[in-house]
Amino acid sequence: MTLGRLAILFTVLSLLGFGGGNAIIPQMHSDVVEHYHWITSAEFTRFFGLAKLAPGPTTTMAALVGYAVAGVAGAIVATIAVFVPAGILVYTIGHGWTRLRGNPWRERFSRAIKPVVLGLIWAGVVTLARGAIDGPATIAIAIAATIILLRTEWNQALLVLGAGVVGAFVLR
Amino acid sequence: MVRAKASLAGIATSFGRVSATAFGGGQLAAIRREVVRLNHWVDEETFLELLALAQLLPGSNPTNVAVLIGSRLRGFAGATVALSAVVLPGFVILMILGIFALQSHQPWVGGALRGCAAMAVGLTLANAIEMTAKRINAIDIAIISAVAVAVLVLHASLALTLAIFIPVALVLTRGKNDAV
Repeated sequence: MTLGRLAILFTVLSLLGFGGGNAIIPQMHSDVVEHYHWITSAEFTRFFGLAKLAPGPTTTMAALVGYAVAGVAGAIVATIAVFVPAGILVYTIGHGWTRLRGNPWRERFSRAIKPVVLGLIWAGVVTLARGAIDGPATIAIAIAATIILLRTEWNQALLVLGAGVVGAFVLR
Repeated sequence: MVRAKASLAGIATSFGRVSATAFGGGQLAAIRREVVRLNHWVDEETFLELLALAQLLPGSNPTNVAVLIGSRLRGFAGATVALSAVVLPGFVILMILGIFALQSHQPWVGGALRGCAAMAVGLTLANAIEMTAKRINAIDIAIISAVAVAVLVLHASLALTLAIFIPVALVLTRGKNDAV
């Protein structure tokens, strides 16, 4: 059943989501595009772009995947699945946290996980690019975005909005 | 240390405001502004400690921070209210945008979506470059590359990647100071 699959898929993704939303991009793409064929690779990156355009956590893009698969019910199930189980885990661990403070394993784990998460984030960049980069105009937008973000403090959402306006004229 | 008394309505208002107005990477800064500077619910040191824990645990960072702060302020009810408030307004706005964009067959809407998607690639690329620039050393670069190859070329699942590379990284980074 589709709603059950959505619930399991996003629960697992969120519980494995060390390093936050961007680190789960490759696995989410593999599940919803390559395995279940619920959406295309291009739609996947567009959903990600919409989630960057809207306020709130980027992980809320799960709602759009759920909506594409099973309407409003799918959106609600996917959103609950991607936020609530991880929330319960964090709540539970947060209570024992004071006892972990100063524990050398905490520091070790924290140090070790950073390059692993970064590898996943780089894989996510490539995954998203495969769905979005399809010609000179999209290459130009992505490169311009990268340079602007590395050199200025401009607001991300305004940049996404600007790219949307450019796209409405150039990429139609 | 918890400094000021927070009501559930206050928690809902603060985190709801963050969800409705703060974007992508700006959300953690917006939460800090609400809970440390505007409401004095927690001090700077507590916020940084909860942020470190939020980043260490699986799940979206802003929602993890919301759960931890809500829980510090008003226990389970506080955590529930903070999590709901930091997700719901953004969810509603995204759904309205998404339903409009998905149902429209106007060419300019398709073009706008393609533009947003290309920009989002730039956002993640810039983020990856900035984060990697802090860890230019042989061990980190080797782990980053190996993980990326495992995922992109060998199609390793997230679970398998974590199961293999976290122990490997624990061994390789032993005794190495964090570059950040």
